[in-house]
Amino acid sequence: MVRWIPDEPGEEQGLLDALGIASADELFRDVPKKARIGRLGVGPSHEEAQVVREIDRLLERNKPYSRFANFLGGRLACRYAPAAVDAIVARSEFYTSYTPYQPEASQGMLRALFEFQSLWVELSGTDLANASLYDGATAAGEALLLCRRIHEGHRFLVPASLPWEEKSVLANYASGPGLTIEEIPYDLRTGRLDLEFVRAAAKAQDVFGVLADVPNGFGHLDEGVPQLKELLGSVPLVVAADPLSLSVLEPPGNYGADVVVGEGQGFGISPSYGGPLLGLFGCRKEHARAAPGRIVGASVDVDGAPAFALTLQTREQHIRRSRATSNICTNQSLMALAFVVYASVVGPRGLAALQASLAEKARTLASALAGVDGLAAPRFDAPYLGEFTVELKDVSTAEFLDRLRRRKILGGVPLADPRPGAATVPERLLVAATDSVGEKEIQKYAHAARAAARRSP
Amino acid sequence: MTFRQARWDEPNLWDLAPPSAHEPPPSIPGVPDSLRRKAGLRWPELSELEVIRHFTRLSQMNFGIDTSIYPLGSCTMKYNPKVSELLARRAGAAELHPAQPEATVQGALEIIWRLERLLAKVTGMPEVSLQPAAGAHGEYAALLMVRAYFRDRGELEHRTEVLLPDTAHGTNPASAAMVGFATREIPSKDGCVDVAALRAAVSDRTACFMLTNPNTAGLFESEILDIAEAVHGVGGQLYYDGANLNAILGITSPGRMGFDVAHLNLHKTFATPHGGGGPGAGVLAASEHLAPYLPVPRVAKTGRKFRLDYDRPKSIGKIKSGYGNFGLDLRAYAFALAHGEEGLKHIARRAVLNSNYVASRLGTKLPRPFRPLVKHEFLLSGAPLKERGVRTLDLAKRLLDEGVHAPTIYFPSLVEEALMIELPETESRRSLDAFVAAFERALADTPENLHAAPRSLAVRRIDEVRAAREPLLSWKDLRARAANVEAPAPVAPAP
Repeated sequence: MVRWIPDEPGEEQGLLDALGIASADELFRDVPKKARIGRLGVGPSHEEAQVVREIDRLLERNKPYSRFANFLGGRLACRYAPAAVDAIVARSEFYTSYTPYQPEASQGMLRALFEFQSLWVELSGTDLANASLYDGATAAGEALLLCRRIHEGHRFLVPASLPWEEKSVLANYASGPGLTIEEIPYDLRTGRLDLEFVRAAAKAQDVFGVLADVPNGFGHLDEGVPQLKELLGSVPLVVAADPLSLSVLEPPGNYGADVVVGEGQGFGISPSYGGPLLGLFGCRKEHARAAPGRIVGASVDVDGAPAFALTLQTREQHIRRSRATSNICTNQSLMALAFVVYASVVGPRGLAALQASLAEKARTLASALAGVDGLAAPRFDAPYLGEFTVELKDVSTAEFLDRLRRRKILGGVPLADPRPGAATVPERLLVAATDSVGEKEIQKYAHAARAAARRSP
Repeated sequence: MTFRQARWDEPNLWDLAPPSAHEPPPSIPGVPDSLRRKAGLRWPELSELEVIRHFTRLSQMNFGIDTSIYPLGSCTMKYNPKVSELLARRAGAAELHPAQPEATVQGALEIIWRLERLLAKVTGMPEVSLQPAAGAHGEYAALLMVRAYFRDRGELEHRTEVLLPDTAHGTNPASAAMVGFATREIPSKDGCVDVAALRAAVSDRTACFMLTNPNTAGLFESEILDIAEAVHGVGGQLYYDGANLNAILGITSPGRMGFDVAHLNLHKTFATPHGGGGPGAGVLAASEHLAPYLPVPRVAKTGRKFRLDYDRPKSIGKIKSGYGNFGLDLRAYAFALAHGEEGLKHIARRAVLNSNYVASRLGTKLPRPFRPLVKHEFLLSGAPLKERGVRTLDLAKRLLDEGVHAPTIYFPSLVEEALMIELPETESRRSLDAFVAAFERALADTPENLHAAPRSLAVRRIDEVRAAREPLLSWKDLRARAANVEAPAPVAPAP
């Protein structure tokens, strides 16, 4: 039998004897016969060594990005994390603990989460942060709902350049209260948001919030974003920002963002094929009671010693039920721990230096790709940090990426919505300078792209 | 056992090395000044060793399953096998970007596909998706599916209500509200759904009835087949909250009980770690008529190749980025593979045996509401303690002093001063007996000691009311408070 279920000789018999029953079957006599099942058909049990062999055999069929010249980015980052991060995350006092509902027994996790919240406040320029949400996309969804709680209206504006996955997630969040999502057009040359569109929409009185992203869905920076709040007045502004970019860019709270969300995976969390990730959420103080998710607060114990506890819980589902600000219960606490350990090990100067170095690689990549026929690289005439959009003129994105993959290059993230029936868009991909690429990989990409971008004969 | 938790007077990170100057970060060519940070990030510059010591000390002031028995009702705090941790850190699992071409992630897709097939068998439902990040996220997705289904049938106009028992987890009504349904509570009778009340409540307004079975009182809803008939009789859908699946693994299944859609929590039944509150991993299981609405993409198999199928025109779309929490799916698959058919069935038998054993022992000390036979968890009422001026809260805090995590308290609300206790299958008889002994010591202690508990932990009882009344939610708040205290507002200059 499985070793993880205690099995000392006579152990279960002793428990049955204590209950005065002959067999464990009697414990299920309240399950009606008609609801019983027979065999599950899930196969036999395995020794731990066999489990390792079988899963390793399956994992062999994966080709991790580290085996390629890797240019994949977007909201998720393939980035080295100092070993110190996992050394802390792997401490089982942390990872085998539950939600700190008994604060006296959970001071370690509570303090780490308080430090995490503090870090997102500093990066984002907001007043308070929660202890995490599922990922960047759901954090944006929760921000949409917060906006509706603090402002009237039924239209929520998002950039047309927002990644399709996030648009789809947001559409689901908006659908509950019957709200609509509208896309802000962008300038075809620069990818910048059409501020006149935003100005007109804000005047119409029925917009309850606007979302902008930094960098935007094309990987570029938009100089119009810091001007948005001025156009919007009392209409809430949500900014979805990459946390590494905020080591060098102005915190959105400083230019008036009411809510700042983001995807925190790049800080010490491996991509693991898309999860677990980390939703970052911060907002202005006046919106505290409209905010979703758990929040850790500082307090004192009966001796006056500093202590930490979950607070403002009357917003939450276990107390407020159908009137809660969100249904979220389980969040991403352990990932929040990784985030704050990562930033503290790398340090503020280290983060800015890392962002500067990725930006430098991206510029080298852009110049290497600039001369390739059949590519517009970068497609948009706008500033960028570690990534930018490339447009293909003669081949499909799928074909281009497939040709690169055969040359051991992961060439980028396609931007089109893959669902059949989705609107046709230009052949575009997001190309990122990851920390694992150097001059050699960049030249390899440029060389391979010359052939890959050419129409098949 | 004498228990003393580490008590480090550990400063906050920023007090270890107060950051002083905030020089602006280096400028990046091409990035205009208007976008640049005017002051550098305010965060301490620490050595790696300082950071490691800080967080190691914090970890020593935290209970986990690995340090303490954790009898939290509804949370299924079972042992998290170490082999799963090992496997999830392999490069072949961790170093995969979700935008990688399908040809480079065949192993990941196969693991997802295999786990989905396995969970289809466990739930008795034809289609499964691993996309939700957590249980509540699964509830939300499932209700989006139910809504889309009724919209397609032209019934959404009138199907506006989600019914749930008064013992439901708080996430159920919260999820229903997020999807735009009105919620209505069905009263319990002897700890189970009052089926007569349910029959009276269902109508053509009913979109869905959400139920967990066994329920949060630890009781199996034996009238489940009648419940299913009552809900289906008016054309409603029956939703299974899988938080308590551990108790019925291989005994019955949501599909066999008549549920149309279900969520499971891999971080409960399939032993992925709770991580201090997350990450979790949710599972969606759907019957034939709701399966077309599952989130995109679905993992499909063609010949020996696995692929992501986006051609699902009725799908609700995306509920998060990426395909669920793969790192946790992998851990859960390792757990399922190790257990197999017999092991999974053993889980239910042993978990229910453990909980009934402890229930029978503690039931002589405090009243147990409802019938005695329970499943994965049981309730006690701390109401008699009030005669001694003691509350359930005091008992819970006193248990912490025994090095035992407290049970879930004050839930469900239909039991006065409730304690909800769950003992998963990974606890040995020795640890169950030790828990009972600790509980008895706590119960027999003086009111003074119970009120003063905990005394063996890093901190004593915390003023949670003050934390809510004067929220201090970040370092920024602490700085503002310190500035107010230490440097009172300057006196207005003379005119």
